[in-house]
Amino acid sequence: MERTLEFVNISKAFPGVQALNDVSVQVKGGRVSALMGENGAGKSTLLKILSGDYVPDGGCVRINGEEKNFTSPYQSIKASVSVIYQERQLLNAMSVMENVFIDDLHESKFGFLNKSELRRKTQEIIDSFELPVKPSDIVGHLSIAHQQMIEIMKAYRRDSDIIAFDEPTAPLTDREIAVLFRLIGKLKERGKIILYVSHRMAEIFQITDDIVVLKDGQLVTTFETSQTNEAELVKAMVGRDIGDTYAGIRRNDKIGDTLLEVKNLVTEDINNVSFTLRRGEVLGFAGLVGAGRTELMRAVFGADPVISGDILLEGKSVNFKSPKEAIDSGIALCPEDRKTQGLVLSRSIRDNISMPVLPKLSKRLFMDTKAEESLAASAISKFAIKTPTAEKLTLELSGGNQQKVILGRWTSNLMDTKILILDEPTKGIDVGAKAEIYQLIHDFASQGIGVILISSELTEVLNVSDYIIVMRSGRITGRLSRHEATEERVIELSMMD
Amino acid sequence: MDIAGIAKKFIKGKTFSLLCMLMLIIVFFWYFSPNHSFLSVTNIVIILNSMVLFILFAVAVSMLIISGEVDLSPGFIGTAAGATMAALLEGGTVPWFVAVIICLLMGIGFGLINAVLVNKFRIQSFIATLAVGTFLARGFSFIVSGGRAIPVRDPVISWLGTARIGDVVPVTVLISLAIILVYGTILSKTKFGRGVYLCGGNREAARLAGLNPKKLSYLLFANSGMLGALAGILFVARIRSGNLDGTNAFSFPAVTAVIFGGISFGGGSGKMLGCFLGLLIINAFNNGLTIMRVSPFWQDVASGLLLLLALTLDYISTRRANRASIPKSARRLKQEG
Repeated sequence: MERTLEFVNISKAFPGVQALNDVSVQVKGGRVSALMGENGAGKSTLLKILSGDYVPDGGCVRINGEEKNFTSPYQSIKASVSVIYQERQLLNAMSVMENVFIDDLHESKFGFLNKSELRRKTQEIIDSFELPVKPSDIVGHLSIAHQQMIEIMKAYRRDSDIIAFDEPTAPLTDREIAVLFRLIGKLKERGKIILYVSHRMAEIFQITDDIVVLKDGQLVTTFETSQTNEAELVKAMVGRDIGDTYAGIRRNDKIGDTLLEVKNLVTEDINNVSFTLRRGEVLGFAGLVGAGRTELMRAVFGADPVISGDILLEGKSVNFKSPKEAIDSGIALCPEDRKTQGLVLSRSIRDNISMPVLPKLSKRLFMDTKAEESLAASAISKFAIKTPTAEKLTLELSGGNQQKVILGRWTSNLMDTKILILDEPTKGIDVGAKAEIYQLIHDFASQGIGVILISSELTEVLNVSDYIIVMRSGRITGRLSRHEATEERVIELSMMD
Repeated sequence: MDIAGIAKKFIKGKTFSLLCMLMLIIVFFWYFSPNHSFLSVTNIVIILNSMVLFILFAVAVSMLIISGEVDLSPGFIGTAAGATMAALLEGGTVPWFVAVIICLLMGIGFGLINAVLVNKFRIQSFIATLAVGTFLARGFSFIVSGGRAIPVRDPVISWLGTARIGDVVPVTVLISLAIILVYGTILSKTKFGRGVYLCGGNREAARLAGLNPKKLSYLLFANSGMLGALAGILFVARIRSGNLDGTNAFSFPAVTAVIFGGISFGGGSGKMLGCFLGLLIINAFNNGLTIMRVSPFWQDVASGLLLLLALTLDYISTRRANRASIPKSARRLKQEG
């Protein structure tokens, strides 16, 4: 019998927002169905209703025609549903096997764990995932990409009929993505129902069969993947035709003299790297996750120690011992992870913007609150940050607005930023906000700022940068101008040994 | 923000609920105390007097808790400083101000040991400061005092412990109020104070934005040790003896009072005013019970119940506030991850 999953007239409200409004969707077994929509469209709410995390205000879920009303994740799992969230739900201090078999730990007859059995079964799963980890490895010590794969293993091991993935590839490298897609293919052949949420267009067209588009909590339309194209899909998602995101960028074309020169830099993770950045240039760094791009920039920024090599800023040798020294010389870093490294989430927009210029905002003993207010206000208006007040906690902002707060911090009129390092600036940000950020990058460049753009999204790094450096395993494996660079060439360089 | 908005925010805030609680306690004990003596000048001074040492310890601890650490050692450092003070003054050759300076430096020294353990050896501050307090500082008090209570006869120190301005307000009360005022101002009005909040909220993000969390941590632990030592000096001045248990017993209640005052253990939030109100509530409550001749044994139980009640109410109100006031975008964030 063919499996079916139906969401019937689902509504769910949170105080002040209708997260889902009368959404009806039907998906079938043996097909991969994408859920797409901008941030806030209601994709995750729908998944959380499926997993029993949220109880809908109205409507119901039907599995194989049978009405189910999950009130807890436990019930959902028992009904053969697995939802893999973006936030990994792993026990970091426990081993891989204990995590994978968390709800089905094998016991011997005396009630002790049957470790050899666990190990054997876990190894089987690891083999089919082609991962270089051992069943006894502690999960917290693994890379983020491997942790994500462990999370997927949990669902795979349960052999659920319905498996939902929420942005599974965000932390993965291409190698693991290939494995994941093969596994999804196998699950599909076995007639499972697969729900797939992702912001990455290419993936959607690569592996899904159907696309369900949500916007502001309502169902917009459903497509058969083979019958649609990217432009049509984006239009459905944003409700307007934004055309080609990249073609719309007003590029900066004035590239000046050399600003930063890194010579033979060696750190714990970086092996003899040299590159130069010019005024007004957008220098892209492509590569797989873990290629050493983040580590390289942290070392340049003084956040991690340098073993040997030279860093020259405007011809002068600088080897920063702390981020503060780098900032004082005009270098700014927007870290990869906004929430853990970029922002102090428990503080306001104002506090987060004024962070690096606190000494300049001090009048004698006390803070100059008026100057600080106007600093924050100008950043809010300059970047069109959506907030009623600068007092709002950054915790309460959307991803795009959080990123704008960080950009506002580094480009306020009290900063003299010459180099702006952006590490995955559009991660987890919806299409509309991405386009805004691309434009901002070129606006900065036209002011003479040298921009370094690290991105794992190939089309992004290829289309936004003027010049592209490809890294692999802590080394530079290729340097390409915008016109030479193609996706194939960059992939080849980032995977070559 | 308009005035109505500010008022609304204030009513939802922690300060307002603490003020309500304080008012309730005041009205209750004023009404039920014999001759309404709860609100007499004498009794108010008694309450403030009972808060002096608490204030010093709580100020020290709250700075650290806001910065994301905790310090359990100031009480023990106070005892060590007090014992050292008594021992130094015993012979009559060391002038009082030299003794005071030595004791304060000693407090800073203990604080720096805490800082090194936490920052260099990456020991959790809870464990590090507990070890430094209960073993190092307490052991040190025994060594300097030789295990006996040394009487203190220095006239200046005795004056410090007993003098009252206008025969009403003790000097020590004024010192403690001045200290909490100064630290409250530092916290809310200076860039140093902002740094405490930012580093406590997210140490790595603060470092990457050009702050120096390590330096801040050293300063705060040193400061905590110094305030602990100062409290120890005031304690000795009051009882005129280098008592062996000294201020040990203040260590944990200080932390409790700070949390009660709305300074959360996670770091990055809380106000000194909340800390002060928390202390005032706890001390006024205990004082009220004493006036009403409740047995000291039952007083402890009652204080415990008050704390639990306050924490429960706090939990309920923040949960409700979270449900009602999280703006759209935040909820989106939560849903979308």
